[in-house]
Amino acid sequence: MREITYSEAVREALSQEMRKNDDVYILGEDIGVYGGAFGVTRGMIEEFGPDRIRNTPISEAGIAGAAVGSALTGMRPIVELQFSDFITIAMDQMANQAAKIRYMYGGKGHVPMVLRTPSGSGTGAAAQHSQSLEAWVAHIPGLKVVQPSTGYDAKGLLKAAIDDDNPVIFYEHKTLYGTKSDVPEEQYSIPLGQAAIKREGTDVTIVAYAVMVPRALEAAKELEKEGISVEVVDPRTLVPLDKETIVKSVSKTGRVVVAHEAVKRGGYGGEIASMIAESDAFDFLDAPIKRLGGAESPIPYNPELEKAHVPQVPDLIQAVKETLNKA
Amino acid sequence: MAKEVFMPKLSSTMEEGTLLEWFKEEGDSVEVGEPLFEIMTDKINIEVESYEEGVLLKRYYDVDAEIPVNAVIGYVGEEGENVPENPPEAGADNGEGAEEETARSEADASADEVQDGTGDDKVRATPAARRIAREANVNLASVQGSGPKGRRHEHDVKNVLDSTKATPLADKIAADQGVDLSAVEGSGPHGKVRKDDVLQHTTHAAAQSVPADDVERIKLKGLRKAVADKMVQSTTEIPHVTLTSEIDMTHVIDVRKTLLPIIEKQTGYRVSYTEILMKAVSQLMDAHPRVNASLDGNEIVLNKSVNIGLAVAVEDGLIVPSVKDADKKGLAQLTKVSKTLGQKARDNKLTPDEMAGSTFSISNLGMYAIDGFTPIINPPETAILGVGRIVEKPVVIDGEIEVRPIMTLSLSFDHRAIDGAPAAAFLTDLKERLENPYGLLI
Repeated sequence: MREITYSEAVREALSQEMRKNDDVYILGEDIGVYGGAFGVTRGMIEEFGPDRIRNTPISEAGIAGAAVGSALTGMRPIVELQFSDFITIAMDQMANQAAKIRYMYGGKGHVPMVLRTPSGSGTGAAAQHSQSLEAWVAHIPGLKVVQPSTGYDAKGLLKAAIDDDNPVIFYEHKTLYGTKSDVPEEQYSIPLGQAAIKREGTDVTIVAYAVMVPRALEAAKELEKEGISVEVVDPRTLVPLDKETIVKSVSKTGRVVVAHEAVKRGGYGGEIASMIAESDAFDFLDAPIKRLGGAESPIPYNPELEKAHVPQVPDLIQAVKETLNKA
Repeated sequence: MAKEVFMPKLSSTMEEGTLLEWFKEEGDSVEVGEPLFEIMTDKINIEVESYEEGVLLKRYYDVDAEIPVNAVIGYVGEEGENVPENPPEAGADNGEGAEEETARSEADASADEVQDGTGDDKVRATPAARRIAREANVNLASVQGSGPKGRRHEHDVKNVLDSTKATPLADKIAADQGVDLSAVEGSGPHGKVRKDDVLQHTTHAAAQSVPADDVERIKLKGLRKAVADKMVQSTTEIPHVTLTSEIDMTHVIDVRKTLLPIIEKQTGYRVSYTEILMKAVSQLMDAHPRVNASLDGNEIVLNKSVNIGLAVAVEDGLIVPSVKDADKKGLAQLTKVSKTLGQKARDNKLTPDEMAGSTFSISNLGMYAIDGFTPIINPPETAILGVGRIVEKPVVIDGEIEVRPIMTLSLSFDHRAIDGAPAAAFLTDLKERLENPYGLLI
């Protein structure tokens, strides 16, 4: 199969859909000639023109509001925010408008929009350009939340997100943009709410998403050398969450580490851990559920401190061993 | 200060020991190095010596108790010292008696910390451990936790289930007979496999090897079952030795011929060789009291009265009525009593009293083409005489070959109570008495 990068996979998903569906257009800051903050839309303005690749003023509230309005009138807008940190500015539109309208109008109107935005640390972009705020949006009923960890998943999930009649927050991890994976050329869709078992194992389950998935896989590889078999489950979408796959895996292994880059306190890992504890898997838990998340501080600018802030491969290895009383 | 007596850990795999015997009573004085008790481990039986000098103040366990290693099983101290009424928790204070080295992991140590608590501390266990304990009905408090602060994990419970799969004795028997313990269904708590389960399994397995439609199965019940149980008890408990001797019956035959009409006239019964043997045996008991004895636990009981058990074949079974005070009865009376008892046995009309109290037994197969055999002792007796047929044989007497009626006697004795020489002396005296039967009249 053909190997392309994560960002190429996202671009391909956008382009393929836009060729087919005239209702789809993109709006965001500097997405035209400049190609967006991370170059995802590079070259698209040449193919689709400035009406469908729309540069906007620097106002996330305005961009999101325009998208909600045009979605209500029948378009399928795709918003690109340069950094997911600025979803805070778009939050009123997303939480109070996009998420509520379909419900409040009894289904007479709906908001089929996608908000794409790069998240996460690892680029030395400091505290205001490195956060992972997915728990904020995952908390709001009416919003769907996607966090792909590979180009393959990104392309298929983005197709499903565009097709969905509800607002979808689509996180793209900054440091994954350059990673390559096998991605089919034809269009395909990965249903929202379907987790992927990225690696099968028997001793401990790691539930990880976004950049934590490749780290978990690396940790699993290291741990295998010590005879510890790790299963890596990538939920891929936080809302809806594929509880069944997670519960099944944890029931099998009896031990689980939930890892994300977002600050651990109030992070979505707490939701996953609670869901496991409330589930059928409880009776099979043979160790306390372990959560890994970012430190309770803003992301430091210093690259070493930035690294230390979020869970890395050795942290995952340590956490797995702790659940096995082998640390 | 009283010192604890611990169940020693004698091997790395030993988890518990079975108490076989106490050598000291509570209140007995004990020297250092003196054997205190005997235990059986999964590998050996061993006498455990005292580490302390003083008085055995307390024994917490009785014989046959299975006791975890390092559990306190008693106290040695000075007379009158106070010791706990119940044994302290295992491992609570290892003191001097404990063999345990520092090889224990930190996790183990912290497990003890928890167990040292007031006793009503909640048990730390994972949900999975609790589920398995619940399903297998295991008390989690009795499980040693391998996790931090003694937390019990799933594998801790599984380990306990595995290790308590069989009693040490069952383990041993299974190993001896090459039985796979996992195939044996246990009848004990948590499906613990006991001795009887293994034995039953082996007999069952042997029976199973014959195709079902080729056999007729008869259930062991009633008298058959009683006989079976008694035989198993006798052969497994008693170290049998059988001595044989050939008796020249020329004179006994003469005596019988002479007495036959007399006794028949008096009693209506025909005297048989059994009664003559009974008479001869009874008369020798004074000189050979060990042969007329019973083994009761650790004691040999020498019986004053001579009650001869008479093995009588009945339908699908064997009954041994007892001819009481045989030494005080004449041949006519012996004949009458024997014949009456034999008939009652065959009619199933014996009273319990008539079947009890025998001190020596005679089993006569002389009516068959049997020369000698190895009779099985009728416990608690210590000996039994097997009687073969009388058959004419060439024998050498004073350098000449003569044809004489010869009968073989087989004497089985319990080697715990009697040694070979005294048993041989008894049989020799019996031979002498039968070959010169006029001694019977004296």
